[in-house]
Amino acid sequence: MRRLGKYVALGGLVAFLASMGNVMAQECPIKLGAILPVSGPMGQVGERISNTGAFAVEVFNEAGGVKNCPVEYTLRDTQGQSAVGVDAAKSLVDLEGVKALIGAVSSGVSLPVLTSVAVPSKVVQVSCCSSSESFTALAQEGKTKGYWFRTYATNRSQAAMGALLTTEKGFKNTAVIYVNTDFGVGLAKRYVEDIKKLGGNITSMIAYNESQQSYRAEVTKALEGNPDSVFLVAFPVDGATITREWLSLGGTDNLIVNNSLRSDDYFKAVGHQYLQNLVGYDSAQPRLPSVTTFNELFQAKFDGPPNGPGLHSVFDAVTVVLLAMEAADELTGDAIRDQIRNVTADGGIEVYPGAEGIKRAKALLAEGKQIRYVGATGALQFDANGDVQAPKMTWKLNGTENKETGYYTTEQVADLIKRLDK
Amino acid sequence: MILQHIADGILSGAIIALGAIGLSFSMKILRFANFSHSELLTWGAYFALIFASFTAAFGPGLGNPVGPFSFGWKFLAALVFTAIATSALALVLHELVFDRLRRTANHMTMVFASFGVALLLRHLVLLLFGGDPIYYSNALQFAVLLPGGVRVMPDQVFLLGVTIVVVVSLHLFLTRSRTGISMRAVSENPDLARVSGVNVASIVRWVWIIGASGAAVAGLMYGMTVQLRPELGFSLILPLFAAAILGGAGSLYGAVIGGLVVGLSENLSVMIIPTTYKPAVPFLLILAILYFRPQGLFGERQ
Repeated sequence: MRRLGKYVALGGLVAFLASMGNVMAQECPIKLGAILPVSGPMGQVGERISNTGAFAVEVFNEAGGVKNCPVEYTLRDTQGQSAVGVDAAKSLVDLEGVKALIGAVSSGVSLPVLTSVAVPSKVVQVSCCSSSESFTALAQEGKTKGYWFRTYATNRSQAAMGALLTTEKGFKNTAVIYVNTDFGVGLAKRYVEDIKKLGGNITSMIAYNESQQSYRAEVTKALEGNPDSVFLVAFPVDGATITREWLSLGGTDNLIVNNSLRSDDYFKAVGHQYLQNLVGYDSAQPRLPSVTTFNELFQAKFDGPPNGPGLHSVFDAVTVVLLAMEAADELTGDAIRDQIRNVTADGGIEVYPGAEGIKRAKALLAEGKQIRYVGATGALQFDANGDVQAPKMTWKLNGTENKETGYYTTEQVADLIKRLDK
Repeated sequence: MILQHIADGILSGAIIALGAIGLSFSMKILRFANFSHSELLTWGAYFALIFASFTAAFGPGLGNPVGPFSFGWKFLAALVFTAIATSALALVLHELVFDRLRRTANHMTMVFASFGVALLLRHLVLLLFGGDPIYYSNALQFAVLLPGGVRVMPDQVFLLGVTIVVVVSLHLFLTRSRTGISMRAVSENPDLARVSGVNVASIVRWVWIIGASGAAVAGLMYGMTVQLRPELGFSLILPLFAAAILGGAGSLYGAVIGGLVVGLSENLSVMIIPTTYKPAVPFLLILAILYFRPQGLFGERQ
């Protein structure tokens, strides 16, 4: 009898704890999932991005968290591979019960995560770094159901900037050498369309496969038609191999390069002295106080400036999602999705990054006021497809120094694209 | 432009040919497909780098540039050093792994063991030198324009000369020297050679030395004209096998012709097919040879 009583008591306790657990799971802590490549070929970049994402959560928690609940940053590694990324996202959504996903970095990873995890599970996915236009097309077909956002401008503006740089320099015959990935192919095709509208010619379009030892055949082919300039879409290691072979074989040193080649590794491997006629473009942060605020916060935390791809944009991705959670009545994917647009909409009271800014935002939301987050990348304005526009800058090498040569505001970039899309 | 592709094909084919000689011999005489052979190219290139940095007192990299070349007299010393060092490495592998396995294990075990050795060797390079590309000389060498609009780098022409010298000396070695003749005897019939008084164990070591030296020279040449990377040899494995199989196992000239055919077909293919499919060309060559003439162009039916 005594033993039976024990079991009953134990059973009761278990039932009680289980019911407690149910209540607790709805409350604290709130989990935010991150799927980023912290190992593998993008490991170095990915780790910095992830640390910055974690920092954004830390700042939010300093301001009291979401609905008075601390937020837990739950990171899973994608290793830069789509299959690993999908598994990671599935386990975050199904097992960890995260309320939203941040990531991934490569478009090739973000895309399968979006179509096979985020959309079917009705979870919002915000990427800091994927720039492929495939997402825009997918959104236009209605297949993202609005769960997809990104805080990083698409390839569209990169192609436009590349074409603008080429024609502004007065080049007439350009060869295009591009990496054979979703990113490279998309960007190169757009570039060719744009350059034709701006009055330039393309002598050849050469795709190359990554991580090969030598690109002599590709370079020889690209030299046909005597181009006066070359548009190179590559990443530093292969980019350096191609550039060296290109210059060795007598190719022009009028290079126009994409933003991934704005890297000291690339300049050093080729040799600064050979790259004095190189020009490039990159994303820029708007000249706004909110950007300076973020830069100072970052400097204080990491003891160095936020130089590197995706740092500003991941901070905003995390902050916008958490603000949307705060504004939402309940933490469902649909509610968060709608609130992301609300907290960034035109006409709200502007709020800024940092613990003080978040506290103010939360107070305003509590009063039922409309807010507009202006963050590390400036005022985010998601269009119908979840895309944003960003300012751009152009740069060149001056000796060994990487110098900014021009700045294009969001509006100027949008105008340029409108002109090209006519 | 076709002339340019032909020139590029011959120059890159020369490197493949040198690497394929050792592979071809080991397929015939050691009787297994040695997948770790390509890693000897990598090590050959990095041994030369080690030599260059230890002898920095005698000029940077491979020596102060002489004439139109990017290297100096130190290059010849580096060539000898890397051939000796790579041969030593190959003999160590032979003693520690392949010789022990050969007594008991079958053909497939040897092939898989060579895979394992290849992984080990490649990652050792990665561990010691890191994954970033390295150059013997950071200065760029510019191509000179030959008649017919062909652009070649002086280094490449010089290295083509080195290849010819190596191949001719190997030919003389195989036909004139006692060791060379014994080697051919072992490759024909090891048992008959043994009863005729040939020291098979010593011949097998010679095969390793010749294969490793060829690989070292090829690796050094590749490092000079392209770059040094831990995957240097690994990325050449398919062209190397294509050349060895095309030429026929055990044939010196087969390997040389095979290397040139592979180099030329890779470079000429981009005139017809998109450049992204270029890496598939050696594969297609292997398939075609195995289908139409499995013993290779110069091989004998077994």
